[in-house]
Amino acid sequence: MSFLNMSQDDLATTAARRTFLLQAGALAASVCLPQTLWAADKKSARRIVSIGGALTEIIYALGASQELAGVDTTSLYPEAATKLPSVGYARTLSSEGILALAPNHVIATEDAGPPAVLRQISAAGVPVTILAANDKFEGVLDRVARLGILIDRPTQAAQLVEKMKADWQRAREPILARKSPAPRVLFILSHSPGQVMVGGKGSSAEAMLHYVGAQNAVQGFDGFKPLTPEAVIAAQPDVVLFTDQGLSIVGGIDGVLKLPGVAQTPAGQKRRVASLEAMFMLGFGPRMPQALIALDNALLKVMST
Amino acid sequence: MSAVAGAISLTSRFTTGLLNRPVWFLWLVLLLCFWVAAWAGAVPVTADDWRVLWRHEEPLTSGAYVLWSLRLPRILFAALVGAVLGLSGALTQGLFRNPLADPGLLGVTSGAACAAALTIVVLAGSGIDIPIAWRFWVLPLTAFAGAVGVCLLLDTVARWLTADSIAGLLLTGIALNALAAAIIGLCTYLATDEQLRSLTFWTLGSLAGGSWPLVGTLSVLLLAAIWYVRRLVSAMNALALGEAAAAHVGINVRHLRRRVIILVALLSGFAVAWCGVIGFIGLVAPHIVRLVVGPDQRRMAPLAMLVGAIILLVADTTARTVAIPAEIPVGIFTALLGAPFFLVLLTSVRKGG
Amino acid sequence: MIHTVQSHSMLSLDRVTVKLGQRTFGPFSFAIQPGERVAVLGPSGAGKSTLLKLLARELSPASGHAGFCQQPLQGWSLADLSRRRAILPQSHEVAFGLPVDLVIGLGRVSRMHDPSLASIVQQAAEQACAAHLLGRRFDTLSGGEKARVQMARVFAQLWDVEQGLLLVDEPLAALDPGLQFSLMEAIYTFAAKRGHAILAILHDINQALQGFERLIFIKHGAMVGDYQTPHVTLPLLEALYDVNLACAVTEEGEMIVAPSLQRKVVAEC
Repeated sequence: MSFLNMSQDDLATTAARRTFLLQAGALAASVCLPQTLWAADKKSARRIVSIGGALTEIIYALGASQELAGVDTTSLYPEAATKLPSVGYARTLSSEGILALAPNHVIATEDAGPPAVLRQISAAGVPVTILAANDKFEGVLDRVARLGILIDRPTQAAQLVEKMKADWQRAREPILARKSPAPRVLFILSHSPGQVMVGGKGSSAEAMLHYVGAQNAVQGFDGFKPLTPEAVIAAQPDVVLFTDQGLSIVGGIDGVLKLPGVAQTPAGQKRRVASLEAMFMLGFGPRMPQALIALDNALLKVMST
Repeated sequence: MSAVAGAISLTSRFTTGLLNRPVWFLWLVLLLCFWVAAWAGAVPVTADDWRVLWRHEEPLTSGAYVLWSLRLPRILFAALVGAVLGLSGALTQGLFRNPLADPGLLGVTSGAACAAALTIVVLAGSGIDIPIAWRFWVLPLTAFAGAVGVCLLLDTVARWLTADSIAGLLLTGIALNALAAAIIGLCTYLATDEQLRSLTFWTLGSLAGGSWPLVGTLSVLLLAAIWYVRRLVSAMNALALGEAAAAHVGINVRHLRRRVIILVALLSGFAVAWCGVIGFIGLVAPHIVRLVVGPDQRRMAPLAMLVGAIILLVADTTARTVAIPAEIPVGIFTALLGAPFFLVLLTSVRKGG
Repeated sequence: MIHTVQSHSMLSLDRVTVKLGQRTFGPFSFAIQPGERVAVLGPSGAGKSTLLKLLARELSPASGHAGFCQQPLQGWSLADLSRRRAILPQSHEVAFGLPVDLVIGLGRVSRMHDPSLASIVQQAAEQACAAHLLGRRFDTLSGGEKARVQMARVFAQLWDVEQGLLLVDEPLAALDPGLQFSLMEAIYTFAAKRGHAILAILHDINQALQGFERLIFIKHGAMVGDYQTPHVTLPLLEALYDVNLACAVTEEGEMIVAPSLQRKVVAEC
């Protein structure tokens, strides 16, 4: 499985210099590439390390899963991805650990780090590609297309893009046709019981809410900020939205109602709490159209109570 | 083994401290740790690969490449950073006459973190375009400047408020640390998601950035510090008598204080700037040494360096090998390995009287 | 009553005042000759310790002139000063539990090159009745033992110096009488052999009367008297402390005083 089983001769012949892509400008890449076996040529089997749940999902969707040599801890879907070697949390990567997987391509989101490790990996002759994301459906399509080119599956990528567009169309149609007023939704993110954050303007949660025709109940700040009772009451949300993980951390619906301020809102009074799996709802991967439908259904369901 | 050993002169009492008996033992342990650390890792290394040390044959094998470019600089860097933190801790505890002090009290950590937070949030948010080649250096350099700057500011403010009192320095330090924490808090609040993650990563601490240029720079810095500290350690002992009595026996407490602060700021500021916050070593390495050889700074300071180097090397080797191919933040292991060892030592010393 | 300042004296204060917070102490004017033994007496809070801090250079004069060995006191470097004068402090605490040998040796820390350090530490410890404490940790010692070690440190500091100055700040107040006596004897012997002057702040009037040739009285922050010991009379002491004192005279002719509730129990001494 490992490149170490190759003979020294193989190593020498496969050694070739190769430029690597460094986008998003996070890294200074001025290192001279040594001639090592990581600089594989195009004939040898591709071995990809994917850092970012959405990227892994796309790779699976493009049918290139057999080329995956390793994934990070956010690569939880499909379940088969969790069986692959894990290179750990995307921000605390290990250069040696990744090199030990004998990859010939590392594809990462801009979250990947530390920068020094990415430099070391590309210095070892393994191309590192950073595919930046944005919270737009078009951005996801663009990512799919770029990834398709990177892993030599442009046709599959084009097909996936078409399929996603169609699904998206289907998901958006009823939303656009709907005449009912947009529900005010408060998105709450919780990594631990003591740390409860609210999604403000420009957050990934807000992007999804807009696509689903809902209104982000919080407008006062950018990104995720700690929850304050007064802000929650002032926001007057009709629905409180969670990730599945966050909901179980705060202790289910009863736990939500105990969060400061929530009981004083329409959502709290009518126990309108919805939740979806985190990577599904906010992963901005190939399942985005399905996520949109699921979120729409979840909101419709709680609003009907 | 390391560059530290080779260049130490044997002329002074401080450096001969390195060659007394527990020292031989600690050097041996350190060498053993180097040996294990160099062999352990995700990529297997063969005996042949070690030839890379004296001959760079092209093309390198994977083992040789990893050994030379990643593993050796990293373990040397880990040992050097550990030594720096141990020495800084010993000096800080001596300065405050308090075994619970650590360089953080002088504002090193909060200064670096504050500067890093400002860099990540404000500089990045200001839209100033930094050339690509510089970006990698901006954070460590500003963090280093922040660490040194806050230490000097602390010394100046404390001197202005409470002229010659080290208790005053401590209180000013607490106030300044609180101020820095507030600024960090503010930056955290203003930070975008992505900036927040950079910030939290930075506070986790990591030796992944270890490289030959850094090993070289830190070796030079540490050697200069050792040479400089030789002259300070006796005076540091006198501080134990109290500030007034130290002045009575001829120590200029003011000058000594400023020198120690600058030294600690440069040393641990460098470590914090490149590795993020690695806690616990500065506190516990001098403590362990004091339990074993007593509180004489002349013996304690060099041993604290060795113990710091060993703790961090072991912790880092564990951090990068227990979850191959992933890596676990090293700060978890400095405490996880150091604390029980420290407790065992504490009980055995208490029992032994 | 007040001595004129002599230019060739070891320590000279000329109308020196010192400020501590809102309070001004002084003016102090006196001079101390090499080998002299001077005790400073006065009620608590009168400014005795402030005077000592001034002489120890922990405080700077607000006005007037303080000289030490023909130079302004403030002009001395701390290291040079430490090789001419030593201070036996009131409190004995040392952080970290340093070994006794090291604590004694710290008296000589300002000497760059000190080949005879080990033998001086040994001899100083012997002189201070602390030789049996060598090798122990300072923080395991009793109060009396700590006092002896601190004294040995001061001895080591001025061991190979002639005509230095020893400032003593009631270091023995908390010790039992026998130990007080033997330690004071050790100080006298040590100083006499080298021509060191001693300036001691004392609470014990009898100790001052018996061991010191000159007494300086301080009250309400100012110097109120400077007497050769034989000229000190009971009324002067009573005025200093605002108490009634009883007085007895030993067979050797030494005066012993003690506070008394009754006025004038004993006839004039």
